[in-house]
Amino acid sequence: MFLMPLILVFIITIIQDSAFKIINENKISLLIVNHDSGSEGNKLKDMLDQTRMFNLIENNNIDFSEVKKEISKENAMVALYIENSFSEKLNSKTIILSKLVMANIGMNDSVNKKELISLLPPTIFFFNDPVLQDNYCYSILNLIHSNLSIIENTKMLEGLYSEMGYDSVPQNIKESIINNKIPIKRIITSVDDNCKIPNSTQHNVPAWTIFAMFFMVVSLGSNIVKEKLSGSFIRLKTMPTNFALILFSKQIVYLFVAIMQVILIFSIGIYIFPLIKLPELTISSNTLGTFIIVIISGIAAVSYALMVGSISKTQEQSNGFGAISIIIFAALGGVWVPIFVMPEYMKQISKLSPLHWCIDGFYTLFLRDGNWLMLYKPILILLVFSLSCQIITYLKLKYDKLI
Amino acid sequence: MSNPIIVIENLSKCYANSNEMSLDNISLKMDSGEKIGILGPNGAGKTTLISIICGIMSSSSGKVKYYIQDNEVTYKSIRNRIGFVPQNLALYNELTAFQNFEYFGALYRLSKKQIMIQYELLFPMLGLTNVADRKVKTFSDGMKRRLNLLIGIIHNPDVLLLDEPTVGVDIQSRNAIISFLNKINGKGTTIIYTSHHMGEAEQLCNKIAILDYGNLIAFGKTKDLLLQNNVSDLMLLLMKLTGEGFRDNV
Repeated sequence: MFLMPLILVFIITIIQDSAFKIINENKISLLIVNHDSGSEGNKLKDMLDQTRMFNLIENNNIDFSEVKKEISKENAMVALYIENSFSEKLNSKTIILSKLVMANIGMNDSVNKKELISLLPPTIFFFNDPVLQDNYCYSILNLIHSNLSIIENTKMLEGLYSEMGYDSVPQNIKESIINNKIPIKRIITSVDDNCKIPNSTQHNVPAWTIFAMFFMVVSLGSNIVKEKLSGSFIRLKTMPTNFALILFSKQIVYLFVAIMQVILIFSIGIYIFPLIKLPELTISSNTLGTFIIVIISGIAAVSYALMVGSISKTQEQSNGFGAISIIIFAALGGVWVPIFVMPEYMKQISKLSPLHWCIDGFYTLFLRDGNWLMLYKPILILLVFSLSCQIITYLKLKYDKLI
Repeated sequence: MSNPIIVIENLSKCYANSNEMSLDNISLKMDSGEKIGILGPNGAGKTTLISIICGIMSSSSGKVKYYIQDNEVTYKSIRNRIGFVPQNLALYNELTAFQNFEYFGALYRLSKKQIMIQYELLFPMLGLTNVADRKVKTFSDGMKRRLNLLIGIIHNPDVLLLDEPTVGVDIQSRNAIISFLNKINGKGTTIIYTSHHMGEAEQLCNKIAILDYGNLIAFGKTKDLLLQNNVSDLMLLLMKLTGEGFRDNV
């Protein structure tokens, strides 16, 4: 009940840590093969380096066919191949386009059609590791396009100034084109604007703790069946005691075990993880909220275990059904794969899992610094779930004449 | 004249999804201090009858009356004076013998002191003192049966109901159990028990009730029943009254 969940949290957090880092903080390795004979290829390389999104690896000694091999050898996740005539073609393109603009506004002769037809756009080749998700590739491509646009616009401006008889573009105009981007202010929507970036620890520690709490179904459910079959329930019926009190006592013990699991696993996340270079677990400042979510998750887990035990006829049935149902609930509820990466229909289905609402409660506290207004929904749903399990348990034991 | 402690009047039981009566219009009077054996072949209704007497099961019709010193009382008010030893070993295997004893004692609302007194009195009588701190899962069937019995009498009941208390035990344990039951009966506890062991029943019981197909076919003092039916022992009596046919279909 304690050791196995701990091992699970350690293993899963370590495994998922690098995956989360790719999304959050790790730089993508970008191989640049710059065969450009001019200077524009280098400019692009410098601009990409300044984005701080990539870990740039420049290797100009390989040819086009070898780039693919470099990716296959996992030397880089993405690669850019800049062809030999990149600057030349870019210059030609911007000169002709500048002439076209000048001709259009009547400041120059018309452009020779042959020149337009012979115009070959510069090409850059982008390679990516197939494991990289499409949406991530599109983000990288958009970033490259954005930097290419700046180079192209600067060249265009130089062409226009040249067509108008100037030697060069004034420095202040050049800089304002390059630097004058419309600012986008990033706002992270946590309640107190305190940004806590989701990482493997923030997801895995609460998620697998909840899984461990619910996995008690194997122990408690089996215990209930055993008592039904051994005749303990029958003996208890002949005693001057309230049977509800006995069931309640059992639940209190298991709830206590669940709370101990939380304290132990969370403590490991806070104190031990940083020592082995895993992200530290950051818990909410809303201590009462955290306590209530822990308690309500424990009650939901214990109630479910009780229900499984009461409806099962044999210990094998209880163990099998209990364990598999928790694995399904965990998968649906976002224990293995966080809900935000699930397709929309799965997000809707995941709401059927009690584990989803437990995780939602912890996410609300740990990542969104949620207040009571945001917590009421998971608390209410888990209370209804627990109550339903308790009612089913009561009715089943009553039907079996055990209480 | 002896005092009645349990009186059964026209008791019938028909289980749901069954067309046959498990108990059919049974009437019995059990007096205080008696040792009554409820005997019969498989499916005769022995466990059903004992379950209704100790309140585990409800009857379809008829009544079980309980008495304390000739005054009729409700089951609820006498429940604390009834002990029950189920056929199944209703014990917690992960607990020690003493922990089981202590747990059930607490459920009977005995104080720690009362539990200790009972422990010191009862454990030696059934030879369990030396193994009191051992987990029940390490016990033999005989040891479990003896502990099962001790838990049934932890609260000094006036009536002790036992459902086949010696099933699957060796001759030594069986002998110890029967001697123990005789001893506590000597101190005033009424014994009502079911068994398939006729020799054991003959050794223990002064009154016998024989059930067959849910009907009470004989009830009286053991000696009188043997004389009336002209047989030498209970096995012959049972065979004479219930026949030699197998009861595999029940």
